[in-house]
Amino acid sequence: MAAETAPPASLEMDPGSAASTVGQVTARPGGAGRLSWSELLHNKRAMSGLGIVVLIALFCFVGPLLYHTNQVTVNLNIENGPPGPGHLLGTDPYGIDVLGRLMVGGQSSLELGFAVGIASTVLGMLYGAISGMLGGVGDAIMMRVIDTLLAVPTFILLIIVASMFTLNLGVIILILSALSWPGVARLVRAQVLSLRTREFAQAAKTMGATRWRILLYHMVPNTLGVCIVTATFGVADSIYALSALSFLGIGPPPPFADWGTMLTNGVDNLFNGYWWQVYPPLIVLVIVVLAFRQIGDALNDIVSGQQPGRAVRRRRRRFGWLPLASQYE
Amino acid sequence: MTWYLLRRVGQAVAVVIGVMILTFILLHMEPGSVARAVLGLRATPARVAIFDDTYGLNKPLYQQFVIYVKQLLHGNLGVSYQLQQPVSTLIAERLPRDALLLGLSTLLALIIGVPAGIYQAVHHNQLVDDVVAGTWFTLYSAPDFMEALLLIALLCVQFHVFQPNFPGGITSVGGVLTDWRALVLPVVVLSINSVASFSQYARSTAIQELAADYVRVARAKGVPPRQVLTRHVLRNSLLPVITILGMSLPSIVAGAVIAEAVFNFPGMGQLFWQSALSHDFPVLLGATLIIGVATVTGNLLADIAYGVLDPRIRHGS
Amino acid sequence: MRTPRRLAALAATLALATLVAACGGSSVKVGSGTTVKGQKVNGGTVTIAEVGASPNFIFPYPPATNENGYNVNLTMGLWPSLVYVGDGGKSAVNPQASLYSSLKYSDNDTVVTIVLKPWKWSDGVPITSRDFTFTYNLLKANYANWIDYTQGLFPTDVKNVSTPNAHTVVLDLTRSYNPSFYTDDVLAEIPLMPQHAWDKTSATGKVGNYDQTTAGAKAVYAFLQKQGGDMATFDTNPLWKVVDGPWKLGTFNSSGYYSWVPNKNYSGPDKPILDKVVWTPFTTDTAEMDTLRSGTTLDLAGLPSNDVRQISALEAEGYSVAVEPTPGVAEIVPNLYNSAVGPLLQQLYVRQALEYLINRPQIVSKVYAGYADPGNGPVPVLASGSYVSPLEKAGGPYPYSPSKAISLLKAHGWKVAPNGVSTCERAGTGPSDCGAGIKANEPLQLTLLFTSGMASFDQQEAAIQSTEAAAGIKIVLKSEPFNTLISTAGVCSKQSHPASTCGWQLLDYGYEPYSLDPSGASMFNTGGYNNQGGYSSTEENNLINQTEYGPSSSAFYTYEDYTAKQLPWLWLPQPSNLFVYKKNLAGVTPLNPFSGTLNPEVWYYTKPSS
Repeated sequence: MAAETAPPASLEMDPGSAASTVGQVTARPGGAGRLSWSELLHNKRAMSGLGIVVLIALFCFVGPLLYHTNQVTVNLNIENGPPGPGHLLGTDPYGIDVLGRLMVGGQSSLELGFAVGIASTVLGMLYGAISGMLGGVGDAIMMRVIDTLLAVPTFILLIIVASMFTLNLGVIILILSALSWPGVARLVRAQVLSLRTREFAQAAKTMGATRWRILLYHMVPNTLGVCIVTATFGVADSIYALSALSFLGIGPPPPFADWGTMLTNGVDNLFNGYWWQVYPPLIVLVIVVLAFRQIGDALNDIVSGQQPGRAVRRRRRRFGWLPLASQYE
Repeated sequence: MTWYLLRRVGQAVAVVIGVMILTFILLHMEPGSVARAVLGLRATPARVAIFDDTYGLNKPLYQQFVIYVKQLLHGNLGVSYQLQQPVSTLIAERLPRDALLLGLSTLLALIIGVPAGIYQAVHHNQLVDDVVAGTWFTLYSAPDFMEALLLIALLCVQFHVFQPNFPGGITSVGGVLTDWRALVLPVVVLSINSVASFSQYARSTAIQELAADYVRVARAKGVPPRQVLTRHVLRNSLLPVITILGMSLPSIVAGAVIAEAVFNFPGMGQLFWQSALSHDFPVLLGATLIIGVATVTGNLLADIAYGVLDPRIRHGS
Repeated sequence: MRTPRRLAALAATLALATLVAACGGSSVKVGSGTTVKGQKVNGGTVTIAEVGASPNFIFPYPPATNENGYNVNLTMGLWPSLVYVGDGGKSAVNPQASLYSSLKYSDNDTVVTIVLKPWKWSDGVPITSRDFTFTYNLLKANYANWIDYTQGLFPTDVKNVSTPNAHTVVLDLTRSYNPSFYTDDVLAEIPLMPQHAWDKTSATGKVGNYDQTTAGAKAVYAFLQKQGGDMATFDTNPLWKVVDGPWKLGTFNSSGYYSWVPNKNYSGPDKPILDKVVWTPFTTDTAEMDTLRSGTTLDLAGLPSNDVRQISALEAEGYSVAVEPTPGVAEIVPNLYNSAVGPLLQQLYVRQALEYLINRPQIVSKVYAGYADPGNGPVPVLASGSYVSPLEKAGGPYPYSPSKAISLLKAHGWKVAPNGVSTCERAGTGPSDCGAGIKANEPLQLTLLFTSGMASFDQQEAAIQSTEAAAGIKIVLKSEPFNTLISTAGVCSKQSHPASTCGWQLLDYGYEPYSLDPSGASMFNTGGYNNQGGYSSTEENNLINQTEYGPSSSAFYTYEDYTAKQLPWLWLPQPSNLFVYKKNLAGVTPLNPFSGTLNPEVWYYTKPSS
């Protein structure tokens, strides 16, 4: 079930204590979990991804100011019209301009993605860090709670919430955050567990730092990198989750617009030939998701120390590799 | 190690019980009466009363739970309200079909994903890497149902290469296998997501492996690159993938709702979804139980593998 | 509404998780009654698509907990009702296919004399009046556990049953009933059961006269119901091999795939020409459409209304398309006893304004591509034949008119704010005031709760929201899955309107199906179990009674017109069903609106005559 409504992203963020950290533990000494801002700014991939996201955000939030359309009034007389003068991308089954809807829908999708990404990351980070620091029985209990939450079928939750509340953006953000944070917690906890054994943590302990101090000042900043990576993947997943909800019939009612619902509403019209209802949201969705992945991927590289072109400059163990024959770089 | 196992198994059982209680409570939190949901427009008060009586829905919650657990211990999973069939029969029919479908797609994802990931690792940050990664991510980013429908539009409607769904008369796994052509599209669609993650994972692990000391040593000793890859890097990269497989156990059991809906595959996902919509408690509880067991089993296997790999984590610090 | 038979295609329109967005008007003309040319071929197999659920019970009298509407599709061809409904494409009784040769009402319509035709069961044993009394006895002892039982009707409306001879049954009713109502709605629900084969209490026991005692009748019924739910034995159990309809069950497997084969000993007029009819299940409309578009495995299937534009592509693939109007009424139910807006909705002029503002013709042409009933009143104009009154035929009492709505509101003291929210200026109970219980400055705002998951519904409700705004009536949309909606939105009346189930204000769950006689009982009478909004009027009750118990047939039009004007419900267009079928399959049209598509006994393949 989780596989359908919130598919696990690349395994860097996969809620698996085992999987996500095996590689890291064996090959990452030192404080390599840190995120360095200067590295970020110099990373071409991260910057290009960020640039695309900014462009699309402008399209969505500033666009409607320049391209006025009525997104509220249903006008069946012009429903399903092809692209033409007045409606650059045609109209949808409600007679609403598709291009305008793409912009307004994008606002919802982007807000959704960001909100869920941030909320689930913050929650998961706190929970996972605490659990990792506690260790022993406390950790075991907290993790079993996570297991329980993860094992409860998401569909039931979704249907219950859909029937108790009118689905609007706020409610959806709440649900999707609630469904995503356990995975993050898992990941962070594994990270913290491995960080605890590092030299810097041991050093802090011998210097008399309390557990909480270590947690706040050492662990959390070092997990930040991983968390940001997770968050970027979470953005894509939450946009996708909403479209899956609509496809299954429990999405929010009209006139709510976001790329996912536009896609599901348009997809049946694929055979009817209304391509303008299907391909534009699909393309924009894929571009945004790709951009976020690009950022996440680059961040992941930075955080795990695989910056290209750095190997020649630094020979420190910090990045864990030495310049070898170029085919391995 | 056995201590660890015993502890974890004990915890796993506790988790399953917790899941069942939580689900039970959640189900009964759903507003409205189950009887009216199932009986629909023909729910006269008399019929609602009969329904509630038959299924013990007017008893207090904890009593219902106790009754359910008692039934469970006798191997009786209850009867579906909507389908009027024993839940165990329903699950026993659909689970093997899903296992087949999802097992095949996971296998396909492995076969394609891991070698691709290693190949990408070798050509890390070159154009090839970016192109391949971009392809996987694009495929991953497009929603499942979109890809499924586009494939159907292309391969079934436009060019009549495949049938878009399963022939209706087939129930057994053996039957499904005889018409293997019907499996191709669903397996491909389902494997797309996994390919992306397997390959990405294998890639990142392989990158780290390639940077490890033992690889340097092997290179220094003059071992040819290909051998380094297959003998050393591949094996070590596979280990984490195996832990991932452990964690995909629940999804094999839970079915794939969207793929099943599009490809007309009557599996667990469809069953679960229809039951969720129609408030069919016995089926939901039964399916949750199965999925819960699969989840904890999968996690347990994954954590065991993890503990095997890294002793520091296993014993805490 | 009397207990209607659920029809495959009709239930399919409520199928879960279908996404159908209607498309623009198609200029393709859909044939209904096109003749298929060519030579008749004997035999052949027809494969029919079955979308959504599938049958799970084969005994024709399912228990009160089994709501599955597809069961009747399975049993109809095997055990047709005493009165067979649907004659060619007409909404009328089909005397040739019915089991009776004459049906007379006497003694002020309190006595019904039924003469059975000299037909036989499939094992050669004649159908006799004993079979009728067997059926009656079983139902008398067990009607509480029969899903199709309607309070007050068969068998509890019968005082005495007598059988003067082997082919005559005389029913002594407890009161007089309107003959067409009784024939069309009550007797059309009763398939006969073979006493000589089913009157037993265990699989190995002997057949006896157990049904003649109450305890025995209960035992027999319990046994038959238990067997009736055992899906694994549907196709092997000897009980189900005794049929009186044109078909027998071939194979059945639990995924919903089953087949009919001809009953060689069928006594009726239309003996099957085909060799086999197969039903194959589909989880969703999408899957069904994909199969239709891509191959040749389906011979007949329902066409979701949003795929109308694909008709030309389907015709190129070798299919013909047919339309079948749905016998039912689609509506928005106003909750007259909602704590917040009850007083508003109780005012007739408010309901009239709401109805005037629904642009039904536009919905019909844009949302349903023209394939829908116009929704002029409680009786569907296209599907109910002679029951449609002249008023409804002419368009009903409330054709789309925003100006009339606005003037109505203004005349009753409302400050109309188009595209805003109208407010009540003159609160009070006088003739030009807002009305009792409506406060000053109360906004005219209503929440419309509707079934989610169907794009045509989404489109329709969005259109209604938009047109209501023209008079400042603000409609807030809320959607829920069907089962959730049904379970949370309860019946609300003056006597009982608990806040937990009467929080809804306007409700649109789909449509209410009708039998042949589209009676309003249970929907518009005080305390009717389908009267969700709580409408109550003595006049209405009287008129309904006249249609059920009174002698005259014009009583129906009176009831119909009064109800149409009173708006206990807001009338909406009801989409028709579209079917595609192979071009060379003859006999499919004209379609019988009361059996879905299930008259396969008159179908046959043709091959082009050279």
